[in-house]
Amino acid sequence: MKLSDLKVGESALVTKVEGKGAIHRRLLSMGILPGTVIRMVRISPLGDPIAYEIRGVFISLRRDEAKYIEVEKIVPLNLVPPGERVRVILVDGGPGFMRNLSEMGITPGKMVEILRGCCPMSVRTELGVFQVGMGIASRVFVR
Amino acid sequence: MLIALAGNPNTGKSTIFNALTGAHQHIGNWPGVTVEKKEGHVEFEGESIKIVDLPGTYSLTSYSLEELIARNFIIEEMPDVVIDVVDATNLERNLYLFTELLELTGKIVIALNMFDEARRKYKINVKRMREILGLPVIPTVAIKGHGIKELLQESLHGNFAPKGMEYPDDVERRIQKLLKVLEKYKVKNPRWHAIKLIENDGEVIKKIQSIGARDAIHLAEHLRHEIEDIYGDDIETLFASFRYSFAHGLFHEVAEPINVGGVTLTDMIDHVVAHKIFGIPIFLVIMYLAFNFVFEVAAPFQDAIDLIFNGKDIAGGGHINGLIDISYNWMASFMPNWLASFINHGMLRGLGAVLTFTPIIMLLFLILSVLEDSGYLARVAFLMDRLMRKIGLEGRGIISIMLGFGCNVPAIMSTRALRNERERKLSIALNPLIPCGARIQVFAFITSIFFVSHKAVVLWSLLLLSMVVVALVGFVYSRTIFKGRAEPFVMELPPYRLPTIKGLGVHMWEKSEGFLRKAGTIIIGAAGIIWLFAALPWGVEYGSQASYIGQIANFLAPLGHAFGLTPEALISLFFGFFAKEVVIDTFTVLFGTKSAMLASMTALQAYSFLVFLLFYTPCVATLATVYQETRSWKFVLFVVLEGFLLAIFFSFLVYQVGTLLGVGG
Repeated sequence: MKLSDLKVGESALVTKVEGKGAIHRRLLSMGILPGTVIRMVRISPLGDPIAYEIRGVFISLRRDEAKYIEVEKIVPLNLVPPGERVRVILVDGGPGFMRNLSEMGITPGKMVEILRGCCPMSVRTELGVFQVGMGIASRVFVR
Repeated sequence: MLIALAGNPNTGKSTIFNALTGAHQHIGNWPGVTVEKKEGHVEFEGESIKIVDLPGTYSLTSYSLEELIARNFIIEEMPDVVIDVVDATNLERNLYLFTELLELTGKIVIALNMFDEARRKYKINVKRMREILGLPVIPTVAIKGHGIKELLQESLHGNFAPKGMEYPDDVERRIQKLLKVLEKYKVKNPRWHAIKLIENDGEVIKKIQSIGARDAIHLAEHLRHEIEDIYGDDIETLFASFRYSFAHGLFHEVAEPINVGGVTLTDMIDHVVAHKIFGIPIFLVIMYLAFNFVFEVAAPFQDAIDLIFNGKDIAGGGHINGLIDISYNWMASFMPNWLASFINHGMLRGLGAVLTFTPIIMLLFLILSVLEDSGYLARVAFLMDRLMRKIGLEGRGIISIMLGFGCNVPAIMSTRALRNERERKLSIALNPLIPCGARIQVFAFITSIFFVSHKAVVLWSLLLLSMVVVALVGFVYSRTIFKGRAEPFVMELPPYRLPTIKGLGVHMWEKSEGFLRKAGTIIIGAAGIIWLFAALPWGVEYGSQASYIGQIANFLAPLGHAFGLTPEALISLFFGFFAKEVVIDTFTVLFGTKSAMLASMTALQAYSFLVFLLFYTPCVATLATVYQETRSWKFVLFVVLEGFLLAIFFSFLVYQVGTLLGVGG
């Protein structure tokens, strides 16, 4: 799907940045790259442009520009309802953060089952049952 | 010693520049373009340091003017040190530019600006950052002046042992291969050129072609395809990814988030001011308040300046002398009357006019700086973009249009908020078509005499006409003469911040000074010329039918007849060129009484006159500002012609159609 198809509050993973010349280059230098997580924040009252959160920064893109960005929808773990089994796509953080999570069995590709939604969240992974803080869960993206 | 300041937009770079140079700065333009160039000077530890503020950019590609200026400056002028001003609250994105700078020069001092604010977001290990990069890293809080001295100290004595950024081995090997070829040609900075050649950078390819290094270009092309094949993506995406992964790695190595998730204050404010329903009404209220603030607060100052220069008529007859009268009486005692009149009634009156603009301009830039520094201006762009795009402008274009209803001079100066040169010129060309406060005063005056029972309808019809014309002309211009490459409108919505008094003061003075010096000279000169037309041949009554302007008006009378313009109307339009509100004075002087005015024109003629007044040439001050902002007399001429053509077209239409229908006869 295209980035411009996201609804308010939804997150996505960039898979491809298309377009040519200035616009292509500008999107890249703002840090919109394959593998980047983007959240749709709000739409302008007139329907265009749209504000997105990218690498902790709010950036406004016109629909014409957002359509160059190919994405796939992902969901932060903290928004997954209890009872569901989901696959981890991405862990958004530094090496230390990723290590801590991998010790709980939360790494890209692995399945996670949500036992309790809040608070704290409790999940079952290959390595057992763990409690995860909501802040941490918001940086684990699943599908 | 030469220091260049580089950095992203919204990093506080200009605050650092001001803190470094203090009052010793010079604002000009980069050669050949309207991009602002700031240079400054500082004496530090006996060393004389020149500081150049490079345009704020997100990267150093060849796709935008600003980015080309910044990188060419570093390549060609070879500054001794580049200070990279980094927004520490937004470290990862800002480090991307750093990776590009690092390929141009190893002498970089990093200023981690807004460090106080960043510390609430994450723990930054500055020492670790220095170790990893091998470069001086200084935490700064520019608005408080923290870290400024250290920046200079490190620039002079710092230890520069850059570790550089590593590309994946299979990319690095290919860069080295090309480097060997390029070294034969003795290009400065061969590594940077090698990388840019592989990256398919248009400017660098042209440059390398011009030195005849065809083998390097062929090799680069070959290597580019190899890399694209290995990684399965286009070269631009790949190099951006390499750099970002370095920035990402460095960021996580030195910064530890303190508080993730949770709603930020900025988010909460945006929730209200960018709200689906309330966003635009809130914007209108803010603009209304800002507008009133500027013009209400300025009014007493303007009145005072006017009183000082022009004196005042006393209600029961008589006149209190102003500076112009006093100075005229004094000069006339020892020099010919015509000369004294020229100096005082011409030039000195011009100076008075310049000064009466100053309070408005200072206050306006105060407000604009508050809007910009607080982060609200970016939200205005977000709110209004879709509407403004229809007339070829981005969202921020609405600001200058709204300000135009107050005064076109500051409105045209406010177009500096537009980043894109084409859009700036377009909005400068549109602005004079918006009736300023002075024209609206004249409308009110004339309608109160000629259209007593339909005042509001007539006034609103004129405002509506101007809005329709601005929209139409903007629509046409943006698709014809001001057509251009569509520039990406990828805009950051910075976090809201409280503007600082010091920052505001600097802005206010910077802008007003430019107006006073440059536009001021032109206005005073024009005032002198107007005097010559109105007062000569010497001995006639000022501005009367016998003066040159009166003679011209009589000569043009048959032509004016087609638009319903009487000779008196023509004379008053001539004086309106100096300042639109003078039209009221001229009418009063020429006719004396209301009934004389009513006898001189029909209602239709009066309306046609107002339509003409709405569009015909902007006043001298506006033209001087157009020149100051565009540096082009051609552009000034264009604005004058545009105004006259629209005035002629619409007043002709109104008068002829009105006559045909037998209205107001």
